[in-house]
Amino acid sequence: MWLPFSATFKRNFIVMKRAYPWSFFIGHILSGAYIVFFAYLSYTFVFNKDMDTRFTAYAGTNDYLSYVILGGVFFSFAVSMLMIVSRSIISELREGTLEALLLTPSSRKGYFLGTMSQGLTRAGIELLSILVIGFFFGLQMAIQDPIAVIILFIILLFSLFSQALVLGAFMLYFRDTYITQNTLFVLMGLVCGVTFPAAYLPNYVEWLSYCMPLTYGIDAFRMVMTEGETLAGIQFNLFYMMAAGILYLVIGSIAIKRMEYVVLEKHFG
Amino acid sequence: MIEAINVSKHYTLKEKKRWFRSEKKTIEAVKELNLSINKGEIIGLLGLNGAGKTTTIKMLSTLLKPSSGTITVDGVDIETNPMEVKRKVNMIAGGERMLYWRLTGYENLIYFGKLYGLAGDVLRNRCQSLLENMGLGEAAHIPVERYSKGMKQRLQIARGLINDPTYLFLDEPTLGLDAPVAKHLRKSVKELAHQQGKGILLTSHYLEEVEELCDKVYIIDKGIMVLEDTPKNIIETFVKEFRVTVEVQNASTEQIHSVQRRIHEKGASFVSTEAAGGFVFEVISPFDATPLAASVCFELGLDIQRLETKKPKLEDAIIQMSEGLSA
Amino acid sequence: MKIAEIILAEISKSHRHNFHNRMVYFSLLIWPALLFVTAYYSFKPFNLESSSPVFDHIQTDSLILFLLTGYLGYIFFWSLVQSAWQMAHERQSGTLEIVFLSPVSRYTLMFGRAAGNLIEAVWMFTAFAVIAMASVAGIESIAWWNVPIAFFILAFSAIIWGGFLNIVFLFSRDAGILFTVLEEPMQFFSGVRIPVLALPLWGKTIAYMFPLTYVLDIMRELLLEGASVVQLGTSLGLLGVVLLVLCSASFFILRRAEQHARTTGNMVLF
Repeated sequence: MWLPFSATFKRNFIVMKRAYPWSFFIGHILSGAYIVFFAYLSYTFVFNKDMDTRFTAYAGTNDYLSYVILGGVFFSFAVSMLMIVSRSIISELREGTLEALLLTPSSRKGYFLGTMSQGLTRAGIELLSILVIGFFFGLQMAIQDPIAVIILFIILLFSLFSQALVLGAFMLYFRDTYITQNTLFVLMGLVCGVTFPAAYLPNYVEWLSYCMPLTYGIDAFRMVMTEGETLAGIQFNLFYMMAAGILYLVIGSIAIKRMEYVVLEKHFG
Repeated sequence: MIEAINVSKHYTLKEKKRWFRSEKKTIEAVKELNLSINKGEIIGLLGLNGAGKTTTIKMLSTLLKPSSGTITVDGVDIETNPMEVKRKVNMIAGGERMLYWRLTGYENLIYFGKLYGLAGDVLRNRCQSLLENMGLGEAAHIPVERYSKGMKQRLQIARGLINDPTYLFLDEPTLGLDAPVAKHLRKSVKELAHQQGKGILLTSHYLEEVEELCDKVYIIDKGIMVLEDTPKNIIETFVKEFRVTVEVQNASTEQIHSVQRRIHEKGASFVSTEAAGGFVFEVISPFDATPLAASVCFELGLDIQRLETKKPKLEDAIIQMSEGLSA
Repeated sequence: MKIAEIILAEISKSHRHNFHNRMVYFSLLIWPALLFVTAYYSFKPFNLESSSPVFDHIQTDSLILFLLTGYLGYIFFWSLVQSAWQMAHERQSGTLEIVFLSPVSRYTLMFGRAAGNLIEAVWMFTAFAVIAMASVAGIESIAWWNVPIAFFILAFSAIIWGGFLNIVFLFSRDAGILFTVLEEPMQFFSGVRIPVLALPLWGKTIAYMFPLTYVLDIMRELLLEGASVVQLGTSLGLLGVVLLVLCSASFFILRRAEQHARTTGNMVLF
């Protein structure tokens, strides 16, 4: 597994160096930055900092700006990671290299992990950039337990990776990236508690937020990064994300394997 | 040896009708196929109508799962142990696919090499020597997107050889290549089989190529194997027409008439036309009439300017055959 | 009439080219609808009682109506950004040069294309928005007699905007990045989601650089306030000036670009 991992990491790194996906990179930073910026404008100018009485109860904080800024940071990070992993196989198909890849006796897990780790270098820069922008617009951080932040980050990464496999299988099924990914992202923007607590949503929509590991990830990041919560305080979120991640991993691995066959069968000669 | 026994493959296609309704259609791409490839042998796979050549190659190379039947590679079943089989086979397809265009030729080979479990100096040396052998030594560190078609094709071959496969599948390897490049490629294929002992399965539209290279040819029609033989035998079985063209000078009409008579006696047909300063005649027969035509002219003391035998080609055989099948 | 024929040809081409796949309904109906819902819920953390400062700046006391009209206008404009973006792909695949070989006026083509794509792209969300407006806010809160005028103004402005974008994307290699950079500011500053009047001066300055701002303003006056065209004379005049500027810019760029293309053989101007 190590060889395909490092080989894929290196390969993607070279490709990134040679043809940097600037429009994705800038697009992701901007989409995060815009969430931050527009929340700030709405808060300061449109509503004159006049909050709803239920907000504190639903959000677990009365700091609206920090709430939305962390939402924007992790939403765009999740979008980046989901895209990087889920698009990998369909890109191979489009570039005509999928068959050459499937011919090799290599581990597919190594391939995906290599893709993700390399993508993490890019998505990490995006995340930090948005975080820095956030500080200018009123992000107040209070971290008590840095270890908790790191563990949370790793578990979020795992659950996103697993979800991306399922998304990737859908992409192969529909032979499409644009519509499939953006439908998920628009939906995530609504239900994951990015700019408002999911509790505001009607119950029959709110359940969708349970399917998204990101909901629990953003929530937990707010607790450990702005509310000074410790590892013990986010236990439930961590377990939930682990469980969802494992479930998605199983479904995703099976679905991707099946779709690879289906895709090859469709090009028969 | 690769052995396919009673291998079939059918696809279920969904034909989309209106909203959410679709009809299922089964297409049998390959039916009850039996074939074997030995080490050191070049096998041709030819298709007549909608043949299923690519499907066959994809099944042999583990990319597709047969609907029924078994395939073994050196005794290893392809379904129970695909990873071991993958180590022993590789596939090269024509066209410009199967390479990462943003990577250089060298980087491509390194990447694929690692996916085959190679590493370190072994891998580096192999990549270097493959690139040298394919005449890409100087282009090794240029991104593939700047390669010409022929260069990409040669790099594909290098990629196909990266795991030093025992068996190699070539799917239209010379498609769209310039004549000299294609010739060089054919030479490499021969060397791979006859000197390095690799078993090679080749499909091609260029029948001359198949005739030149292959020790044995399988012909499939609509997914069914219809013939399996050497190119020479196939030609002899199907082509019943040999043509010899002779041009003679200073011949009289009588002389030509006696030539015609003698040729008719042997059961061949004869057509002659008057040409500048002489005659041109063509002998059409179910056997090779070259010696006959030559000896007749010699006996009559005719001055032969040109004698041309048109050897029947595999192409003629295939055309005859497909006409026979569709008739 | 030539322009009608071109519009029809463009409609049928884009229909066959883009609508062979049912998934396109996602980008034309589901996404805008979800974006609208998300925008609505994004306001929930704020005080939305009648005492809320936001109601000082909008024409209606229903936030949903405000947002629905906003997203309706936005989808008209945004769908044309998308279609112009697709044209950049057409240029790369070479079909555009063939189109340019034909003896059709380029302006007719560019604006005809915008018109053709617009009708295809917006009818679904329009239907959704109109039904939603009627059911959420009640039939009586909308000035129905103004609906045809509002739609005419909206569609007309969108086509001018779309033609301009087509020309910009046609001759630019990096217009795609413009799309990424400007998509959301257009949504925010044009008053799709929040009232322009609430913005500070610099925000208003940005707002009035987007033609959509003027259109939305007029549209809301017409639909939600029941204003007459005469009452909106000044606003309409202003919109006219903006559209005229867009038209002249289109004209100028196209002429420059064609000269450039014919001397250098390169379609890319900037």
